[in-house]
Amino acid sequence: MRWILSFCLLALAAIVQAASSSGNKLLVVLEELAEKSKYTTYLGDLEARGFKITIDSPKNEKVALFELGERAYDHLLLLPSKSKGLGPQFTPKLLLDFVNAGGNILLTLSASNPTPTTVVSLLLELDIHLPTDRTALVVDHFNYDTLSAAEAHDVVLVPRPDSIRPAVKNFFKGDGKGGEVIAFPRGVGQTLGNASPLLTPILRAPRTAYSYNPKEDVEGVEDPFAVGQQLSLITTMQARNSARFTVIGSAEMLENTWFDAKVKRSAGLGDVAAGAKKVQTSNREFVKEVTGWTFKELGVLKVGAIEHHLIEGVADDSIINPKIYRVKNEVTYSIELSEYSWDHWVPFTPPADDVVQLEFSMLSPFHRLPLTPSTTTANSTIYTTSFKLPDQHGIFNFKINYKRPFLTNLEEKNTVTVRHFAHDEWPRSWAISGAWPWLTGIGVTVTGWVAFVALWLWSKPVPLKLTTSGKKIQ
Amino acid sequence: MAPKRNARDSTPSSTATITTTATPVPVPTPSKSSLKNNHQSMQEIAVGIWQNYLDKTPQRTKLIDTFMAFLVVVGVLQFVYCVIAGNYPFNAFLSGFSAAVGQFVLTASLRIQTNVENKAEFKEVSHERAFADYVFGSLILHFFCVNFIN
Repeated sequence: MRWILSFCLLALAAIVQAASSSGNKLLVVLEELAEKSKYTTYLGDLEARGFKITIDSPKNEKVALFELGERAYDHLLLLPSKSKGLGPQFTPKLLLDFVNAGGNILLTLSASNPTPTTVVSLLLELDIHLPTDRTALVVDHFNYDTLSAAEAHDVVLVPRPDSIRPAVKNFFKGDGKGGEVIAFPRGVGQTLGNASPLLTPILRAPRTAYSYNPKEDVEGVEDPFAVGQQLSLITTMQARNSARFTVIGSAEMLENTWFDAKVKRSAGLGDVAAGAKKVQTSNREFVKEVTGWTFKELGVLKVGAIEHHLIEGVADDSIINPKIYRVKNEVTYSIELSEYSWDHWVPFTPPADDVVQLEFSMLSPFHRLPLTPSTTTANSTIYTTSFKLPDQHGIFNFKINYKRPFLTNLEEKNTVTVRHFAHDEWPRSWAISGAWPWLTGIGVTVTGWVAFVALWLWSKPVPLKLTTSGKKIQ
Repeated sequence: MAPKRNARDSTPSSTATITTTATPVPVPTPSKSSLKNNHQSMQEIAVGIWQNYLDKTPQRTKLIDTFMAFLVVVGVLQFVYCVIAGNYPFNAFLSGFSAAVGQFVLTASLRIQTNVENKAEFKEVSHERAFADYVFGSLILHFFCVNFIN
């Protein structure tokens, strides 16, 4: 059975030490290689998960994203640089080509270094907007860290994010118990354009935050770039080929100091939580989850085997994936779905209110049916549905089109022909109760005819006799 | 000619001028019962036709006529049912109705060919030949109807 074969292959793949489901070559672009020491914990975590890291500066001409037309790396981490651009090897066009070729990019910004213009125009391509002041950062007077930013209020403390919609899986909630704090020191807030369905924010600024330019010498901020939840601190873009691009507004939150810092929350609005204690930041775990999502260690879906066949109790039921069906056949469809979780494939379950749907369509769907889980193997769940083909002949497709935030896009299409009834597959007349009167009509006519013929052939010839008017007739 | 003369005769009489009813009008002489009244009522005409039919038609032809009347009844019943209850499935209706109608047509042609009064037109067709053709045609009709109703 095909299930056994796919199970064996998956088991074999699981034995191999794999970090990400899409390769482990990671290029870290860092302008001053001396700054590497600030990120040793983060990079060490990545190496421990199996990534092969190459650290290079954009000034080095030998660094290239593409080699002989193919991607030389699977993932790219861009740390902030002081120069105006990222060099000829990392133009916006090349970075977008990298994403179009399936590479994942994690871009970090910093308020202390003005963002290079190439990065600004790259983000504009994706409909992510940065403040026009190059040194603007996110400030919050009610959610800052009193230990490190008592005056400047620019270390914003944010709780773990909830899922953006009830039916969307949340990969960034930690253990979900709450009470965790993420430090966002001196970061750049972004705003997202409405037009793009590919953008999803992971972390939004608290309601009382706003974007402030410390170089501006004004008393109050008039007409800020954005305020409150409009500011997205960490933004993601998943392209149609499921390649991922994440923007982390604060590169400093990846530094060693912030991975195990102790912070103390300020008093909130109306002096809520005024006497907060010192807590450990959850930056390390949170950044691990964000990086894991970006580099395809989380939220990757895979289709195993797809099967469809007749279920009419005839001998043809055993043919798997036939090319041709007939109108009004009873058919069942099943698809095997797995999800990648850090280093192995697990069975995929959609969130509680969500369902994977099957469309049976020719130009437009004739059926749109929910798929229900029927079996679970070690690495996958098999989803099934059964239905009756529509009373229409033509070329139809079994279509799965499952696109959700934070999950790779799932699009599958299987084409089948649906033919008419053959001349001997129509129901017989005696099986149609509406035809019985006509059947009896034919029967009565034929019976009467037989009686007439019998009478004609075997009736005695009538003798001549006289009638009342005296004429002789036969 | 007779009707014109009658009209000419009646109009002078209505103007009350001296009419000369002496001109003999060759009116066809009716039977005895109509001497009292020149025009028969509808009822009497119908009964007369029926009586004439009973007297004059041969026995074999009457047998054919009975069968044809039976087929008419069967056909009319099927048609009335179709009008009331709809014609689904349509091929079944066509098959049943055309069995009755087709059989009627074939029997009519048998009647034509075996009627003694038509002997002059069918000199080379014997009654047996006509009947054999009739049976053959009927069998083809039945086969068609059974095939069409599936």
